[in-house]
Amino acid sequence: MIKELLLLGLALLLAGVAIPLVTAGADRKLARTVSLACTVAASALLAILSLAALLSGEVISWTAYQPIAGFSLTLVIDRLAAFFILIIAAVSGCVAIYATGYVEHLHGGSRRNLLCACANLFILSMVLVIASGTTLAFFLFWELMAASSFFLVMYEYDDPETKKAGIFYFVMTQLSTLFVILGIIILYGQTGTFAFTHVLAPSSPFLTAAFLCLFLGFSIKAGIIPFHKWLPYAHPASPSPVSALMSGVMLKIAIYGLIRFLLYVFTPDLWWGVLILAAGTASAVLGIIYALKEHDLKAMLAYSSIENVGIIFVGIGLSVIFTSYSLPALATLSLLGALFHSLNHALFKSLLFLTAGSVVHATHTRDIEHMGGLVHRMPYTSVLFFIGAVAIAALPPLNGFASEVLIFISFFSSVAVANPLFKVLIFICLALFALTSALSAACFVKAFGSVFLALPRSKESADAREVPLPMLAGPALLAGACVVIGLLALQLFTLAGYSVPIPDMLMIGVLLLAMIALTYGVLYITASRNVRISGTWGCGMPSQQPLTEYSGHGFSEPIDIIFSTIYRTKIRNERTFFDAAGCIFQEGNAEIRLLKVFEEYLYLPVARVSCRAAKSVSRIHNGCLDTYLLYVFVTVLVIIAWLGWFA
Amino acid sequence: MSPEFVLYLVINTVVVLAIAPLFISLIKKVKAWTQGRRGPPLFQTYFMLAKLVKKEVIYSPHSSWIMRVTPIVNIAAILVAALFVPLVFVPEPVGGIGNIILLLYLLALAKFFMALAGLDAGSSFGGMGSSREMSISAIIEPTTIIVFAALVFVFKTLNIFEMFTLSAASGTLSTPTLILIGISLFIILIVETSRIPVDNPETHLELTMIHEGMILEQSGSNLALMELSAAVKLTLLMALLINLIIPFGLSTTLSAAGLLLALVLFLVKGTVLAGVIGLFESSMAKMRFFRLPSLFAMAFFFSTLIIIIEVFS
Repeated sequence: MIKELLLLGLALLLAGVAIPLVTAGADRKLARTVSLACTVAASALLAILSLAALLSGEVISWTAYQPIAGFSLTLVIDRLAAFFILIIAAVSGCVAIYATGYVEHLHGGSRRNLLCACANLFILSMVLVIASGTTLAFFLFWELMAASSFFLVMYEYDDPETKKAGIFYFVMTQLSTLFVILGIIILYGQTGTFAFTHVLAPSSPFLTAAFLCLFLGFSIKAGIIPFHKWLPYAHPASPSPVSALMSGVMLKIAIYGLIRFLLYVFTPDLWWGVLILAAGTASAVLGIIYALKEHDLKAMLAYSSIENVGIIFVGIGLSVIFTSYSLPALATLSLLGALFHSLNHALFKSLLFLTAGSVVHATHTRDIEHMGGLVHRMPYTSVLFFIGAVAIAALPPLNGFASEVLIFISFFSSVAVANPLFKVLIFICLALFALTSALSAACFVKAFGSVFLALPRSKESADAREVPLPMLAGPALLAGACVVIGLLALQLFTLAGYSVPIPDMLMIGVLLLAMIALTYGVLYITASRNVRISGTWGCGMPSQQPLTEYSGHGFSEPIDIIFSTIYRTKIRNERTFFDAAGCIFQEGNAEIRLLKVFEEYLYLPVARVSCRAAKSVSRIHNGCLDTYLLYVFVTVLVIIAWLGWFA
Repeated sequence: MSPEFVLYLVINTVVVLAIAPLFISLIKKVKAWTQGRRGPPLFQTYFMLAKLVKKEVIYSPHSSWIMRVTPIVNIAAILVAALFVPLVFVPEPVGGIGNIILLLYLLALAKFFMALAGLDAGSSFGGMGSSREMSISAIIEPTTIIVFAALVFVFKTLNIFEMFTLSAASGTLSTPTLILIGISLFIILIVETSRIPVDNPETHLELTMIHEGMILEQSGSNLALMELSAAVKLTLLMALLINLIIPFGLSTTLSAAGLLLALVLFLVKGTVLAGVIGLFESSMAKMRFFRLPSLFAMAFFFSTLIIIIEVFS
């Protein structure tokens, strides 16, 4: 049954690709709606099948195509794959509902058909990456995913910023593909098979190299610092449903790859775990610190994705460390934390990206300094964004807390690790992890406060209107999922057959409601019911101006100053005076410059070296046919000589 | 949920609500004495709350539902958090109540709403308070979590109820580590309840205020709720400190005599601690905001030291 559902779902997605392409010439709303309806239907089917596979534990395997022995396109769905297909299905379904409204407001005429087709192709390729039963198929679909997402990023190709973002994304994603294929090839050299099977050979430098290549490939795709720069470029440039898909789901595909290879192929060493833990902690802390500084709403969400991927890596790293200390129960606990956070992040991050898309659509700006006051103008969107913000700030009783508490508990349980030095290392990571989660609360207070509260700070924001129903329905489903999963976290784990030591959030939710009801009841009886509307206290100013309220920049200023060494803020201040004592000011100039550390010290040097290498290679390309024939001739000679020598 | 536990929920909530305003008055009284003033009567905070409840609520025309729900959500979150710290009687924990991480995040939930309410009316005072409060709570967080980790390390449990039971069973004064943890907890208490040298609970001057800035726009019964929740938060952090370090008299079985004795003892211990807090505040000047990170860094290294001692001993 599961296999038929899978095939039907894939066929529907293919139909979603084909329908808008066939009618690409005509700018028809119908074709796009049908295509997105296919996505919704396929998502529903995929969700049903993955839930069935998750609960039954049944493993489905189906060989679609086998040209020669050893190479095959096999689809395998086990519990791990089913879990990630569930993530894809849940997010894509809601994003597609949202997109039915969003796409119609985009510019671009019939190009919008291509957007729908590409989005379906993207979702299809992600499902196939997860369902791949061999490393070769995994690589093929991985590349398909990279290509289709590139086209999605390039939707507004005539905008110079998008062009830059697109090229940046393309280079990074191809680098990721390069490392993944390298890892797979080295692995094939060691095992002689493309199947996901455990390597029985003892740890060798080749296996370590294979792991490092795969780790690099997946880190680039997941946006681990220092390979993160494509996220804050690509996300603001692409349409919001695409950002939601990329941040909510595509990053999780890289996580899936890492977990799949760690669990089913390698026998990890201890230092692999330490590497993953360190990379995760660094990404989490730096990601959220950069997010606090960002005033482009979508770039801020992109940085926050870097943070959350860091948190997931922390869970995976802890799991590997516990495994190598043979503490299987703790290893399972932290891996469950990482997996659960993947699901939760997919839900609330796509919710935030979609509602941010609504806000950008209504205000025509991404700069939060030009927003404000939207809570009165877009009441439903504000509630939805609020739920996402509470969830991502890991506040109880929503789902963000439920997964972070699992990782906290794994941290606290590391008492069981024997080596005292490791204990200290883990506790330092714990402190940074706690800092991350507190900073993310600050970040989303700033985001919600600057975007939705107080007075509008621009005319566009003052004129904003609530978005149409489909653009509320999609996020509303995601918000509902955030609340339900948060409250029923313990029950869901029990249902899946795991006993985890997390608090019963349903009970906490009931207690919170009871306390709210109690307070309300007591106030209803005792308190005065007089309410007056009167101006905000402004120290006697005659009228309240938007300019006097606290801006986003102002809000993050204390954190800017406290972490100024990390931001590498350079403040230059030159003044000249008329008198010697420096009292009467003549003239001066001041400058605040943010150093883009990773760009200036890592990306640009690498780019310069590769440009120089490309230049020297281009010298042998002189454009003359005779020269190329000579190259071919020499190559053939060399190959013949080489074969004669060795074979 | 056993009837005993339901009884615990009722007793703990009633006790914490009843004595929280008293501790606020006590601290004010001690501070007044050190300044050579007579100070307000001991029940002044109760009178103030009663008066505020009877006054009308004023909302800014720019404020939204955030402003309206914050006081109630705030006190509800703090009251649920107070259930995690037994004051006089420790039952068997049920369904994760008493989880030390959840306690921290319930306090964070209250803070999240309060900070948003500070931004809601568009006043620059509220925004300043919110911004500072969120910054401070972020940079104290590593210290807090390390202290909690040290507690988990020492007691081998995540649950505050079990910690209290273990602490009560092991006698009055405990290991040196626990005393070190006590000092760290005291610093956290000062920071979390916005006291000198971090914040000044007495003033409404824009240069010093953090917590008071955030609630500047609150009025009437809403202000009463905010004040009461601040008092309850102070009491629950004091109870955490008291019942870990000097648990003497803490009742673990349900009996009227035991409860009464525990209540009287808790009041005595709380009065002493309130006096210490008052003296501590009077002996210090408010610190400049940007000098706080170095204070917190000190507290952080201090609490990391506990972990290192525990790990290598």
